[in-house]
Amino acid sequence: MEQLIGVVNYLVFFAISAGIYGVLSLGLNLQWGATGLFNIGIAGFYAVGAYTSALVCGLPPTAWDGRMVGGFELPFAVGLLAAALVSGALALVIGLPTLRLRADYLGIATIGIAETVRLILKNEAWLTNGVWGLQQIPSPLYSVIHRHTAAYITAHPGLPEWQRLLVSRAYNWFYLLLVAAVLIALYFVLKRLIRSPWGRVLRAIREDEDAAAMSGKNVFAFKLQSLVLGAMIMGIAGALYAHSARFISPASFEPLYGTFIVWVMLMVGGTGNNKGAMLGAFVVWGIWAATDFVTDYLPWTAPQVAALRIVAIGLLLEVVIVWRPKGILPEIGAKRRAL
Amino acid sequence: METLARIPQLLVYGLVSGSILSLGGIGVSLTYSILGFSNFAHGDVMALGAYLALAILPLVSAVGIGSGPLGSLSFGPDFVVALVLAAIGTCGVVLVLDRLLFRRLRGAGRITLMIATVGVALGLRNVIQFFWGPQPRYYSAKIQYATMIPGLGVKIKPDQVFIMAVAISLAVLLHLFLRYTKIGKAMRATADNASLARVTGINTERVVAWTWIIGVSLAAVAGILIGIENKFVTPELGWQMLLPIFAAVILGGFGNPYGAIVGGIVVGVSEEVSTAFISTAYKPAVAFLILILMLLVKPTGLLTRRS
Amino acid sequence: MRTSGASMSLLSIRGIESGYGDMQVLHGIDLDVEPGEIVTIIGPNGAGKSTLMKTIFGLLKPTKGRIEFEGREITGLSADRVVRLGLAYVPQVENVFPSLTVRENLEMGAFIAARVPRERLDRIYELFPPLMTRKRMRVGRMSGGERQMVAMGRALVLDPRLLMLDEPSAALAPNLTATIFERILAINETGTAILIVEQNAKESLRLSHRGCVLAAGVKCFEDSGPAILANENIGRLYLGGE
Repeated sequence: MEQLIGVVNYLVFFAISAGIYGVLSLGLNLQWGATGLFNIGIAGFYAVGAYTSALVCGLPPTAWDGRMVGGFELPFAVGLLAAALVSGALALVIGLPTLRLRADYLGIATIGIAETVRLILKNEAWLTNGVWGLQQIPSPLYSVIHRHTAAYITAHPGLPEWQRLLVSRAYNWFYLLLVAAVLIALYFVLKRLIRSPWGRVLRAIREDEDAAAMSGKNVFAFKLQSLVLGAMIMGIAGALYAHSARFISPASFEPLYGTFIVWVMLMVGGTGNNKGAMLGAFVVWGIWAATDFVTDYLPWTAPQVAALRIVAIGLLLEVVIVWRPKGILPEIGAKRRAL
Repeated sequence: METLARIPQLLVYGLVSGSILSLGGIGVSLTYSILGFSNFAHGDVMALGAYLALAILPLVSAVGIGSGPLGSLSFGPDFVVALVLAAIGTCGVVLVLDRLLFRRLRGAGRITLMIATVGVALGLRNVIQFFWGPQPRYYSAKIQYATMIPGLGVKIKPDQVFIMAVAISLAVLLHLFLRYTKIGKAMRATADNASLARVTGINTERVVAWTWIIGVSLAAVAGILIGIENKFVTPELGWQMLLPIFAAVILGGFGNPYGAIVGGIVVGVSEEVSTAFISTAYKPAVAFLILILMLLVKPTGLLTRRS
Repeated sequence: MRTSGASMSLLSIRGIESGYGDMQVLHGIDLDVEPGEIVTIIGPNGAGKSTLMKTIFGLLKPTKGRIEFEGREITGLSADRVVRLGLAYVPQVENVFPSLTVRENLEMGAFIAARVPRERLDRIYELFPPLMTRKRMRVGRMSGGERQMVAMGRALVLDPRLLMLDEPSAALAPNLTATIFERILAINETGTAILIVEQNAKESLRLSHRGCVLAAGVKCFEDSGPAILANENIGRLYLGGE
């Protein structure tokens, strides 16, 4: 029974991560799926969101910290909002010079911004505590729930082990509900947006930018809005991550993996389909987690195995691109295109 | 005042690293102009070249080719042979990749292709890590001493002279190739108008193969030169090179291999000179800044017309 | 695969249907070009004239129908294979390599050959004298008329039996139009059959052995070139009055 609860607890933890990736995928789906923007710097917006929320909600710097700013101990909701705003602002900075140009330029610019963000996170210890990262990031309602679960356990000394395991991890269930709530809320908001006239213009831009421009739309403004909004969503994902992991450092946001895996998720799940984005997040994260288990049986060293897992994800992407580029779920509202 | 005094020396370093960036940038420009997409795996191809050279070197020495240093360089003829073989090997790998992957995507959208190259970048980098591990691999443990260039008041190491000589020679060879060989002209023609090239009877698959061969060979050599210059390589090398190389390519004009040469020098020099004022950790940020400035001011690059 | 029949057309098109994706442009075209003939296809915009050219030359795959050249089936063959059989094609726009010199453009015309045929290049310079003095000039810098000469010269380097021209006078000033058609006649005199698609139909029909009218993806009329010119109805409908 304990083992089953162990599995259940793991699944909750898994679902939280998958859910956060789902949020990232929704953001990418708005940028790429709906508008055709080539953002390969997702990790930058993700990291900025995480750090912003951590700094806004966290404790003031102590004497041991390299950090000298931040720690306003504000509520979770404020952190979430701040994360979205700062990520959005970053996207604005990147979008202004690049969105009038070809997709390649946005691609390399987003790589650049993600890299610059990473450098700042690593080197500007006065702001971010450098490689030592930010600790003790508060989780919303943690103390409240923890008090109740601890009280429950103390009040029931004869509790079976499996129940104790379940209750002691109750906070994760709460966080999972939180992530799910954010995910669902975003899904419905995006659904309305995509079906709105605004969303239709985005899709027209993706299909044929010149035609959209000729019909009088300010293509640049729409692209910018899509980029910024998508980045805000990614910032929210970052905040969710920071408060669940409770410790972040630059290493948590390896640009290549944080960005790349989201693309794989979206392409597997179905570009242009929000349900597909979420589905892809769960599927690919599941594959990723599964490779973790398999690796115990392989004869190679840990770094080799880590490398192999990533090669596997890369292979998955290439296979999807060649054989099923549209992903599992079809694009919503796509015309039956002649091919 | 002391900071400014360092600049001439930094300029020299910049020329050296700039020539490496130029070699890398040529490949990106060629791929873009002829195949129509930006290859984000280019940096990792450079890394592959660097690592293959390391792997091949002991085999070459075993065959009996001497390892005694050539003049005051830090390596011997066996290394030169390994360099050539590594370039060939890297070409082989990429041609296979083209056959298996990119050929199937010839008609695909540009962004799909570019995401595929990001996947290849990730794959190559981790294959390297699988075989050689994440720790730095050393090219040479010896310290080479720089000698003063008479009259200019700056120092340069013999290896660095070698690097620049190789870069210049390869650039010249490329120019001759594009100008005077049949396939070189066909490459320029395909870059101008791929559909007309087909109509003319040009075998576009052969042009594609040669584009890869040239771009990848230059990239592999560039990667090896980085190994000589920095004395070590890590699997991160590829992704680290992307930003400065793309900055160079955008500076010189996307699709213009000659522009990439100029862009490489400018970015290399800028990065090195910047270290007089800001921390060396931020060198990639300098490249990024150049990139953003170019996009704001003149996205088509400094050299717009292809020669 | 040789067709049976008394005399064999150089180019034989039967029942060709073709288009772009969902959009079908040609609804069944039959056409023959005899060796050494000049045939002009005229018709309004959107009739499918360029589509037909591209389909013959392998830039588009037909959905139905059969094309034969010198008795050999070439339906759906790719462009670089078609070139090897003795056809050549000059597209309407973007028909030169702008960053290459005149000489290099012509050399590209000989790509499939092992060696660039010197004598042919000389003949082309004779045919288009202005090119002779501009061999090393980058074509992108040249005027429209000169560029059209380079485009046609490039197609002629390997002495094709059939030359296909898509609106050769489209981008040209009127005085150059006469020159171009005069050159076309000269080319034909050496035995090359020429298939022309034209808007400026008058000049073209005047020197054509045969003409055919294409409208809405079907061939609706065919006769000798001068006869079509003289035909008042067609003149009104497709030649813009006058």
